[in-house]
Amino acid sequence: MKPVAFDYVLAESIDTTVAALAAAGGEAKILAGGQSLVPMLNFRLLRPAILVDINRIPDLAFIDERADHIAIGALTRHYRLETSPIIAEHFPVVAEAMRHVAHLAIRNRGTIGGSLSHADPAAELPMLALLLDATLHVVSPTGPRAIAAWDFFLGPLTVDLAADEMLTRVTIPKLPPVTGWSFVEVARRTGDFALAAVAVTLTLRDGLIGEARIAMTGIDETPKRADEAEALLAGRKLTADLIDAAIAAVRANVNPPTDLHASSDYRRHLIGVLTGRALADAWRRAGGEKP
Amino acid sequence: MTEQADLDLRPKLIGARIKRTEDPRLLTGLGNFVDDRQVAGVLHVAFRRSDHAHARIGPIDTAAAQAAPGVTAVFTAADFEKTVKPLRATSRMKGYYATPIRPLAHDKVRYVGEPIAGIIAESRYFAEDAAERIAIAFEPLPHVADPAEAAQRGASLLHEEAGTNVLVAREFKRGDVDAALAAAPVRVKARFRMRRRTPLALEPRACVAEYDRSRDALTFYSTTQVPGIIRDSIAEALDLPGHRIRVIAPDVGGAFGGKASLYPEEIFVCAAAHQLRRPVKWTSDRMEDFAATGQAFDEIIEAELGFDRDGRALALAADVVGDVGAYSIYPWTAALEPVQVVSFLPGPYRIEHYRGRVQAVATAKAPTGPYRGVGRPTATFVTERLMDMAAAHLGLDPKEIRLRNFVRAEDFPYRIGSGIQWDRSGFAECLTAACDRIDYAGLRQRQVQVRTAGKYFGIGIASYAELTGIGSRISVAPGMPINTGTETATVTVDSTGAVTAAFGIASHGQGLETTLAQVIAEHLGARLEDVRIVHGDSAAVAGGSGTYASRSMVLAGGAATLAATAVREKLVNAAAHLLETAPGDLVARDGRVTVAGTDRWVTFREVARAVYAEMGRLPHEARGELAASKTYDPVFGTTTSATHIAAVEIDPATLEIKIERFVVAEDCGRIVNPLIVDGQVHGGVAQGIGAALYEEIVYDVEGQLHTGSLVDYLVPSACEIPPLEVVHIESESPTTLGGFRGMGEGGTIGAPAAVANAVADALAPLGIEINELPVTPERLFRLLSAARK
Ligand SMILES: Cc1cc2nc3c(=O)[nH]c(=O)nc-3n(C[C@H](O)[C@H](O)[C@H](O)COP(=O)(O)OP(=O)(O)OC[C@H]3O[C@@H](n4cnc5c(N)ncnc54)[C@H](O)[C@@H]3O)c2cc1C
Repeated sequence: MKPVAFDYVLAESIDTTVAALAAAGGEAKILAGGQSLVPMLNFRLLRPAILVDINRIPDLAFIDERADHIAIGALTRHYRLETSPIIAEHFPVVAEAMRHVAHLAIRNRGTIGGSLSHADPAAELPMLALLLDATLHVVSPTGPRAIAAWDFFLGPLTVDLAADEMLTRVTIPKLPPVTGWSFVEVARRTGDFALAAVAVTLTLRDGLIGEARIAMTGIDETPKRADEAEALLAGRKLTADLIDAAIAAVRANVNPPTDLHASSDYRRHLIGVLTGRALADAWRRAGGEKP
Repeated sequence: MTEQADLDLRPKLIGARIKRTEDPRLLTGLGNFVDDRQVAGVLHVAFRRSDHAHARIGPIDTAAAQAAPGVTAVFTAADFEKTVKPLRATSRMKGYYATPIRPLAHDKVRYVGEPIAGIIAESRYFAEDAAERIAIAFEPLPHVADPAEAAQRGASLLHEEAGTNVLVAREFKRGDVDAALAAAPVRVKARFRMRRRTPLALEPRACVAEYDRSRDALTFYSTTQVPGIIRDSIAEALDLPGHRIRVIAPDVGGAFGGKASLYPEEIFVCAAAHQLRRPVKWTSDRMEDFAATGQAFDEIIEAELGFDRDGRALALAADVVGDVGAYSIYPWTAALEPVQVVSFLPGPYRIEHYRGRVQAVATAKAPTGPYRGVGRPTATFVTERLMDMAAAHLGLDPKEIRLRNFVRAEDFPYRIGSGIQWDRSGFAECLTAACDRIDYAGLRQRQVQVRTAGKYFGIGIASYAELTGIGSRISVAPGMPINTGTETATVTVDSTGAVTAAFGIASHGQGLETTLAQVIAEHLGARLEDVRIVHGDSAAVAGGSGTYASRSMVLAGGAATLAATAVREKLVNAAAHLLETAPGDLVARDGRVTVAGTDRWVTFREVARAVYAEMGRLPHEARGELAASKTYDPVFGTTTSATHIAAVEIDPATLEIKIERFVVAEDCGRIVNPLIVDGQVHGGVAQGIGAALYEEIVYDVEGQLHTGSLVDYLVPSACEIPPLEVVHIESESPTTLGGFRGMGEGGTIGAPAAVANAVADALAPLGIEINELPVTPERLFRLLSAARK
């Protein structure tokens, strides 16, 4: 479990990072928290010629509040997301979800940029980016580009990033008032990747569901939004029957993997159970009537 | 005051809750583990391991690896043909085939991960790079993955010379089982499966052989539980006298049986160092640990238990197929685990008629070997499940059916159907104490309430007995010719008055440096802090095997008692001259010899000076060395027993299993240190919970290993282990010296059965039985889906 030999570049800025990536012609990898990259190096699953370390780039770790959105720097550690007052105020669903990401030692190192770029199909941050309609800002030697989270996740460990592109920042639009939320997950052990997890926001208008968002992870090649279930919920009051209908819609539209820890059928079952629980939770938090 | 009365008055060291004296070192990073050893000019090893489960090895091209940067040498089996003698784990068992153990695969590979070539380089990095450059022409052979198929006539053979894949078959029998079962009015029967697991020590295996050119000798540091056995076997393999090989197990980071066998890598490192005349080191990584450290369990058991209408067990029949993997592990043999299953199936119960049949079947998987509990976790799982199934059938409470069947106080010593004899131990007392502690009646009431609320809540009991501290009349592994029934202690008071006690055992987490010091200090009259325990070193005593099989406190503790007592007599005799009084008036305590009832005393140091250094202070006959070496043999060993009770709640929708409470009541005889007993029980139960709910080594039908890392193989962490409650019962003193019973393994033996019974109990309204461990949410999901159909 020793990596093959590689060169190491300590990047000083975003520009030097992308220049180094471009110069390596596809043979370089960014090193952020290292929590996913280093195991892959040790297993020799990745054999980059160069590692570009972005940990010393100034001003890459931040959580800033703007008028209508929150901006998060790519090097922001999981632990900061978990404990930030800004996040707690605007996206309590994120603070809650972060507690399910690995263990404290890993959350102290792991970064939002690393998690989104790595795109593990059972990770929490990619699903949260989908849930919250985040925009991912990337830079390459030819300039910046913005990508909707929606378009970013292409497959397991595959995202819309070129070899010379670096993710620098994530922006998340603030949620409307009267939004309830929930995050529920089943993992084999504390800190494990999710077998299945569901994150929900329900925005109420006049006591009815104005907008429902349901994001899921662990149940397909990428995280997903439950479009069909969201459509069912819009404009309605949450009732037991509606929850059942949403569960059925969710189960019908996922394609979960089978692995050592869970079968596709069990994951499909779980995603329904969790959707039901999350909807009830979010509805209650939004102040809706008892379903 | 007589000496005895005085002894009774002072605070006892044996029985005291003393913090482990090794912990400050281990917890502050001052421990010295094998990989910490810095050796000038050391070379590092990486192995090229098989990625085939079963294949003939064709030509091996090592040229590119030899030429790779930093590489000193590349070895294959051919290089050891003349220099290393293959070893075999022999046994007196009839029809048993002992597979040869070699440093590297020879002609064939028999499991994924088997070492084929060893690369020696300046660093592990270079060695791993070079390993990739070795080209091996494999000729794949048919799969031998399923033990039932492998046992059939005509199956592809792993070891052609054996003529079969069944390495050994045995039967234990008493009475007429078929007739008794046929006549039994109540019978319960099931097919059980205990899945394969791995010991998973925090510190993976490692070793370094340091070569002394001046003496053509090796000092071999290894993460082993059995330095004595390793010394003897390497001496045999390399044909060297024992005084040219010294095996040292320094601090070892857990073992659980996985470091109790001789491994090919150990032979390799010694042979390579000897051949190259250079120090050679190998530190395995976690992938190697998963692929090639002795694995555990993996049995299929068909068992039937018959009862009369009052719930009295009459007859037990069982057929066990043990999937033992590719080799018969040295020195314990492939029979160790599966044969112990049938040896212990009758458990702590009176069952007149018994038949246990077992086959140990070789398959193309990593060899299995000793693992904490050996055979008993599986045996207890089966018998305790059957007991609960019978209780349900008979409308009896699980507690009651056990009380009706335990060997009773008046029955001891009692021989169970497999031939094992139980001496008096608190079978019923442990059950009662565990029930009291958990408020069994209260829990049953609560169960009724929560069940009506639609919750799955279950309570599981597991009672068991085990044989510990085994002496020379029984071999630890069936028919094994190596004596594991004695241990020696050498206690020395040196010329400064300091006490050193040397043993053949090898503590690797058990806290034996503390507990043995307690025994020595107590019997010698020394202060605890003045006693140094030397262990884990084949040079410490002339013969000794190591630490395994819950033996060290019974055997080494017994030897310590004898040796310390002998040295105390010598000290007292010498002191009598100095104090000009009769030895009978003297007591040794706190590092002094005192005239009883007075304030006249001499320190051990003064006595030692007088004995060794100061001419003329003592008459010649009182100047004998203040040392004694004593060997203790408990002859048969003794019985340890316990009851575990688990209370679990299962989420009816997600099927997540949560253990709410876990109580252990155990009888390990006289307790040397309650803190350490608690710790051993805690660790053992955590591993038992792992076996019950999480841990499983997965091979596919082609023999490929799917659990190659800690992402795939789930081991419980602190978050998954509930608070554990331990009750100590000291029923009656066993015949062992000091009254100790062994207790290192017990936690792992009872917990899987208790959890399985609790899960089955929780799901009883659905008519679901738990006959396969680990029981995961996935398995529950499938069981529930099948039950609904
Ligand atoms: C034991 C363990 C358990 C874990 N459990 C979970 C869990 O439950 N849920 C979960 O979500 N995660 C889990 N993780 C993963 C963890 O969250 C990682 O921190 C995260 O996946 C990667 O972040 P990183 O900063 O460590 O990235 P790195 O490991 O440094 O990099 C990961 C990948 O992203 C690329 N990369 C990094 N930063 C950028 C950037 N700014 N622009 C472009 N590419 C970039 C790297 O080149 C690399 O390919 C676990 C990890 C471990 C070790």
